[in-house]
Amino acid sequence: MADPLKNGDSGLAGTREDVPANEPLILIEMIQRLKVRDVMTSELAAVERTDPLRVAQSLMKNKKISGVPVKEGGRFLGLVSINDIIQALEGGYIDDPCHKHMSTKLVVLEDDMPLSFALRYFNKYHYGRFPVINREQQLVGIVCQRDINRALLIELTQEFNRLESESVSHCVPEDPFNLYVLREFPVAKYDFENAGKAANMIRKVLKEKKFPLKDIRRVAVAAYELEINLCVHSDGGVLTWRMSKGRVEITASDSGPGIEDVEWACKDGNSTAIEWIRSLGFGAGMGLVNVKRVADEFEIHSKPGSGTTVRAVVFVEPRSTDHRQHDQN
Amino acid sequence: MTILEVTELLDGRILYKGEAAEVDFKHVVASDLMSDVLLVDEEDILLLTSLASDQVVRTAQIIGAVGIILVNGKLPPSSMAEIAAELGITLGRSGYSKYDACVAIHEALKK
Amino acid sequence: MMELSQIIRTCNLKSVVVHEEEIEIKGFYTSDLLSDVMAHCPEESLLITVQNHANTIAVATLVGVRAIVIVHNRAVPDEMKLLAEREGLALLTSSDDQFTLSCRIGGLTDNFE
Ligand SMILES: Nc1ncnc2c1ncn2[C@@H]1O[C@H](COP(=O)(O)OP(=O)(O)OP(=O)(O)O)[C@@H](O)[C@H]1O
Ligand SMILES: [Mg+2]
Repeated sequence: MADPLKNGDSGLAGTREDVPANEPLILIEMIQRLKVRDVMTSELAAVERTDPLRVAQSLMKNKKISGVPVKEGGRFLGLVSINDIIQALEGGYIDDPCHKHMSTKLVVLEDDMPLSFALRYFNKYHYGRFPVINREQQLVGIVCQRDINRALLIELTQEFNRLESESVSHCVPEDPFNLYVLREFPVAKYDFENAGKAANMIRKVLKEKKFPLKDIRRVAVAAYELEINLCVHSDGGVLTWRMSKGRVEITASDSGPGIEDVEWACKDGNSTAIEWIRSLGFGAGMGLVNVKRVADEFEIHSKPGSGTTVRAVVFVEPRSTDHRQHDQN
Repeated sequence: MTILEVTELLDGRILYKGEAAEVDFKHVVASDLMSDVLLVDEEDILLLTSLASDQVVRTAQIIGAVGIILVNGKLPPSSMAEIAAELGITLGRSGYSKYDACVAIHEALKK
Repeated sequence: MMELSQIIRTCNLKSVVVHEEEIEIKGFYTSDLLSDVMAHCPEESLLITVQNHANTIAVATLVGVRAIVIVHNRAVPDEMKLLAEREGLALLTSSDDQFTLSCRIGGLTDNFE
């Protein structure tokens, strides 16, 4: 198909410049990042090349759509539109095969084009929908303006949730129990200056949200121990904080060096920490035991050479059942 | 007894006065290993330690401690007081050894 | 100054390696940092610590510690027992934590002074 970058039109689709300067950056980023295949409808109602136009007509009626793609062996051939049907009814050839009357001079989109291309096409051609093909020229979906709007709305909502959880300390949702959080904190090897910051932050947020103190403590202890383990024992990794509906999950994931004997490592007092680590206040071999003790669910997977994942889940009581929150601290 | 009173008792000095400086502590933890501190399941803890490190402050925040007294005449790195301020944790220091500090606090609590 | 046997009895300590109960203890030190023990621990003393590690024995021997009490009833590794045995150090455990045991012993010394 035609390369829209080469059609002499000054607005360069797919680059930042084609978006008006006053459009929010989040949207710009989104329409560059999302691909046509992310928004298209792929459960396609289509007719075969030799199907009579009547079949296309009833499809349109049943599915409440205004255009039906025509294909042959998966290959996209053309489109029958409502207009074509009206003309067929008027001209009395509604039983002719579709391929005789379908429009073939069609603009199509490719599934791995960025959404910004699609938007540009809608502006430029004023069609209600575009068929989507893949590299093998197979029809894989159809996209209409509504699909794009819906996808953008979903993305925007997710983006908004993410931003909200990031600035979670600055706004007050009515019920902290319904707070949704997904945050990742990278932890670098031997970075004792920054290790523990994530756990401190998690505790601070939970406290501001007035979660029960006992539960806050459990989450914070698990987060701190796992964060420090990443710093002390792994080659660096990521601490993930997930929370929804009172289920708080802390996961520490790294890609090395892994644990030789997981059962041994989980036992109280067992540690591979060397003397200088102990001089920093770590290496008592009590960390994983602490995590297990405070967590409602605990899971550890490790393979020498490939890395370690530890997951701790704490179930937090809903706010209404908490009586301790009036305590100091 | 509050951490302010203990600091005075131990001829010490307050380096940062946080939110809970005037709260009566209910439990004393005298440890230098962070996992050992995190093991304690008590509220309103006073932490006595000779470990002069940022991680002590971070750990104290995790357990909601009322504050930290750095014993043994240890000099905290400047970052330690900064983090104490950031996390709102009271930080004091004293020249007492940890053992002597424990015994002195115990004596004072008995009265 | 007091006798180890006295402390063992009144503080309910469990002996792990004890060659001789009738030894004089002249000072007390509570620490989990070996560098601190090295720098400040008095001689002929009793060390209260959570560090159940063979290195603790090595450092204790260097500064002249006579007895080590591991708190929280933490398990003593064989390597540590062996080393205590070899160095002639008393090794005990307590169910107390560092603060509580220090206070207990502090209370005893009061009565003795
Ligand atoms: N992410 C990890 N990667 C590799 N090894 C790990 C990891 N986490 C833990 N380990 C191994 O498991 C052992 C036990 O961990 P644990 O947290 O219980 O104790 P510690 O970190 O050694 O001491 P403490 O947590 O008391 O300061 C560690 O000494 C280390 O050998
Ligand atoms: Mg650990």
